[in-house]
Amino acid sequence: MAEIAQQTPGGQGFTPIDEAKRQRLLELVRGRAMARPTDLAEDEVMVWPSLVVVEAVSAAVFLLILTVLSVMVNAPLTARANPNQTPNPSKAPWYFLNLQELLLHMNAGVAGVIIPTVALVGIAAIPYIDRSPLGVGILGTSAKGRRIIGFTFVYTTVVIVGMILLNEQSGRTVFGLAGFLQENLNTPELINYQILPVLIIVFWIGVLMALVQRLYRPTRREMVIALFTGFVAAFVVLTISGTSFRGEGQDLTWPWNLPLEHH
Amino acid sequence: MRREQTLADRITGSAVWRSVVRHGYPDTQRNQALIIASNVFLHIHPVKIKRYATKVTYTFCLGGLSFFMFLVLTMTGVLLMFYYVPSADLAYQSMKDIESSVTFGQLMRNMHRWSAQGMVIAVFLHMCRVFYTGSYKPPREFNWVIGVLLLVVTFLLSFTGYLLPWDQLALWAVTVGTNIGGAAPFVGEQVNMVLRGDFEIGQSALIRFYTLHVIFLPLAAAFLMAVHFWRIRKDGGISGPL
Repeated sequence: MAEIAQQTPGGQGFTPIDEAKRQRLLELVRGRAMARPTDLAEDEVMVWPSLVVVEAVSAAVFLLILTVLSVMVNAPLTARANPNQTPNPSKAPWYFLNLQELLLHMNAGVAGVIIPTVALVGIAAIPYIDRSPLGVGILGTSAKGRRIIGFTFVYTTVVIVGMILLNEQSGRTVFGLAGFLQENLNTPELINYQILPVLIIVFWIGVLMALVQRLYRPTRREMVIALFTGFVAAFVVLTISGTSFRGEGQDLTWPWNLPLEHH
Repeated sequence: MRREQTLADRITGSAVWRSVVRHGYPDTQRNQALIIASNVFLHIHPVKIKRYATKVTYTFCLGGLSFFMFLVLTMTGVLLMFYYVPSADLAYQSMKDIESSVTFGQLMRNMHRWSAQGMVIAVFLHMCRVFYTGSYKPPREFNWVIGVLLLVVTFLLSFTGYLLPWDQLALWAVTVGTNIGGAAPFVGEQVNMVLRGDFEIGQSALIRFYTLHVIFLPLAAAFLMAVHFWRIRKDGGISGPL
């Protein structure tokens, strides 16, 4: 750069450079120009061997891990099925225990069918809601996006654990609200255990969105990150609660007090 | 000086070998391209891809692992089918036989069980990876939707397989599971009846779950995977920084 600045045009020996007006390179700023060098997109490798090797090695490593695991740990096989002997607790496969956990706190149709259906349809709709090409290929889009992921995970965990404990205290009556409404206003089950829990969930999602909006001023992509992270955190927390902290009569208990039959 | 013909040269130069493998050793770009393009299994890949697409810390191989576990499940599943009898009277005994008297039976069952659990986890994590790298964005919207369907099919595959051992764990897990489905508003009873074929889990439920598990759902998954993989290529390969 310095050499360019010193060059004189035409080589005709014009006035020497005025040191006060001389341009210097202060720093380089990463630009967002429309025409960027396309190195990444142009940098191609042959699939054989570059990709095939990765696939073969990861398949071999994983097959090894799976084989060792299968040699060491046997799949569970309990007593023969007996329709007359209900185990306590009876549990669904672990990936449905998040729904079973929800089921304890509200109407079964809402917890087991409506909420998962809405969640799945919502997830499928994500690409039609967030269409900007912003942040493709970067984990969490940006530093802000990654902070939102952390914040949402902590928020969702605290809210859900708090709600589970509180509702357990009130004997699973929607924090005692259901009983209160029924006694004083004679409200039907539809309101107490279907509409009321849904409103509470919508409320906490609303609080999350408001907090993220206030704290981070997110783009639409970053708001979608908050919502999706909320779903993942809820899935994880509810699954852990359902698998590891629900004992006899689905009462809360410590994992080491659980009967050993469940896998 | 002419090199002496080794045994390897004789084999790879033979008419039989050349009828199967139509290209030379893949140490030139031309042969590396031919090996991908002329092999039915490898031609799922393009000949060349972007360098960043081979980075393990970008994909963590999660989509590939999901597919890999599907293959392991198919193979071990076929072996288990030789011995398993989908009858309420005989199923449990055939499980006992697989575990105690079939050579490698216990190992096959363990691999099937653990890779089934692993596939549920891998598919879920794959969804998270795709989401957090923004890979669902145009032009990949539809492939994301296909992916959500594959997640549902994976859950259903695992759930229908859960009943087959016909032990207490299976019976009551599926009872709880179908009860959740039975709580659906308006159509709950019908859903339950379609799933169980009876008022409680019995022979009709077992044969339904078995048929779904070994034929219908694997075909559905294979069909959706074909679309899923095809669309990856048609939408410009796996996503990367713009």
